[in-house]
Amino acid sequence: MAARFSVARAALKEKKYTEDHEWIEASADGKTFTLGISEYAAKALGDVVYVELPEVDLEVGSGEAIGAVESVKSASDILSPIGGTVTEVNDALQEKPGNLNKDPEGDSWIAKIAISGEPEGKLMSKEEYTAFTEEA
Amino acid sequence: MAPSRGLGCRLLRSIFVNTALHSRDMSIRHRAYISFAEQLANPANRVQSYISRSRDPFVNLSIEDYILRTSPPDSTVLFLYTNRPCVVIGRNQNPWSEVNLGILKAATSPGRTAKNTEPPAIGDVDLVRRRSGGGAVFHDEGNLNWSITCPRTVFTRDKHAEMVVRALREVGVERARVNERHDIVLDQGHKRHAADPQDTHQTAYTIDEEGPRPLKVSGSAYKLTRARALHHATLLLASPNLHIIPQYLHSPAKSSIQAKGVESVSSPVSNIGLDVEMFQTRLQQEFSVMYRHQGKSPIIEVLGEEHLKIPEIKKGYDELKTHDWMWSQTPQFTLLLEGPARTEIEVDVRHGIIQAIETKGDRVPAKMLEELRMALIGQKLRHIGDWTQFLQSRIEPWHSDYGVIADRLETLLPVPQLGGP
Repeated sequence: MAARFSVARAALKEKKYTEDHEWIEASADGKTFTLGISEYAAKALGDVVYVELPEVDLEVGSGEAIGAVESVKSASDILSPIGGTVTEVNDALQEKPGNLNKDPEGDSWIAKIAISGEPEGKLMSKEEYTAFTEEA
Repeated sequence: MAPSRGLGCRLLRSIFVNTALHSRDMSIRHRAYISFAEQLANPANRVQSYISRSRDPFVNLSIEDYILRTSPPDSTVLFLYTNRPCVVIGRNQNPWSEVNLGILKAATSPGRTAKNTEPPAIGDVDLVRRRSGGGAVFHDEGNLNWSITCPRTVFTRDKHAEMVVRALREVGVERARVNERHDIVLDQGHKRHAADPQDTHQTAYTIDEEGPRPLKVSGSAYKLTRARALHHATLLLASPNLHIIPQYLHSPAKSSIQAKGVESVSSPVSNIGLDVEMFQTRLQQEFSVMYRHQGKSPIIEVLGEEHLKIPEIKKGYDELKTHDWMWSQTPQFTLLLEGPARTEIEVDVRHGIIQAIETKGDRVPAKMLEELRMALIGQKLRHIGDWTQFLQSRIEPWHSDYGVIADRLETLLPVPQLGGP
């Protein structure tokens, strides 16, 4: 079990994407993940006017909403593909929600999560994700 | 012995008959809401149409959310409802800066029922935070809410507003069009000019910048999930309360609050002047025509409060009524308060809890600032009730300057008791 677990972590050091257009990336020690939304999602949403961030210490289950984004009168949930505890949120997005449109896969990450299990659901590499968005 | 036995028998039979009747009645209702759940989730039903007889905004929004979550991924669902008078704010709005809570509170204070004769209150007016984005709106029985849930892949923000414009034009409302905010307006140009009747974004009365502003009759908001998109909107057909809507949507605290989140865009509104029931039918027909290529005409089913028996709908209903959703969901904001002798006090609120109290310069006495901080920091706004009583119970010795602050807070940050957990 332990061996499988570390294999899963190693495989996640590369940025991975979900079918819901979030991305996750493991820290060097594999204990926490940074979560954000993809460039594709940020573009599709239009001008972001508010980002609902989770509270630090929130426990989130795999597949549960960790926050939401509002753009052009639309609210969209941000889902976490992994269960764990929120350790840090990107407070800068409170001040400047529009930054989510500018650098969604870099500076405008959403939250960091200390993982409590393995990711669930389908995770894709950059290439797989690009193919997935082109299909849709 | 015999008579009593006979009586016993009759009693027993009548209890038995009543029970049987009661359970048959229950099972019919039970079947009704079970059949709704099954029908809604059935992938064969690609086009579905529902209408609610409930006037409860919490019930209707929860049924709508249930439709969004459980209808088949490639289905399109129309849902129509009207609510009793209520103010509905967007998911990420600040109720203190968007709504005149003072007049809601006047209508809901304990021991005092609002009377229809008392302007501007029109009886009880609910306050609701919806799950979709956008701004604050007023609903009443003259406002038809229409909602469409469809696959996200084919969703656009205009598509179904265009459907409603087509339905309006067919009953002679030729000034109706979709505007750049995906809302529906009535053009107010005086002179008719040539226009393509198929173009739902222009009318024969559309004019440039100069001239009378179009009047808004329908406001849109959206909720997007992974595979599905919900577009819901108001439609002012025959509201008797048009003249007082601005009083509910203009807050005395607006200029004193610096809020994160979403501000409403205020627009002049108008009634279309159509009968609600007539237009409901017209819209159902337009919807059937639009989606007839996807299958047979949808059966229109009537929904109502009995559907709260569906656990997911009840759960959504309870969530909408919680204080946490109404008040703590409010994005961070700072209230700028004018204290005694023109001093300025800043109250920082996050998740509905007072986080900090600051002042610029040294004009507010240190002792006063300290007392206010002790009394208020960490306090949930919704637990405060009456500001004067609350502060008096916590600040000793009391001073008239605190009274000035309490009065200001009562005006700017009231928390109406809305019921619920």
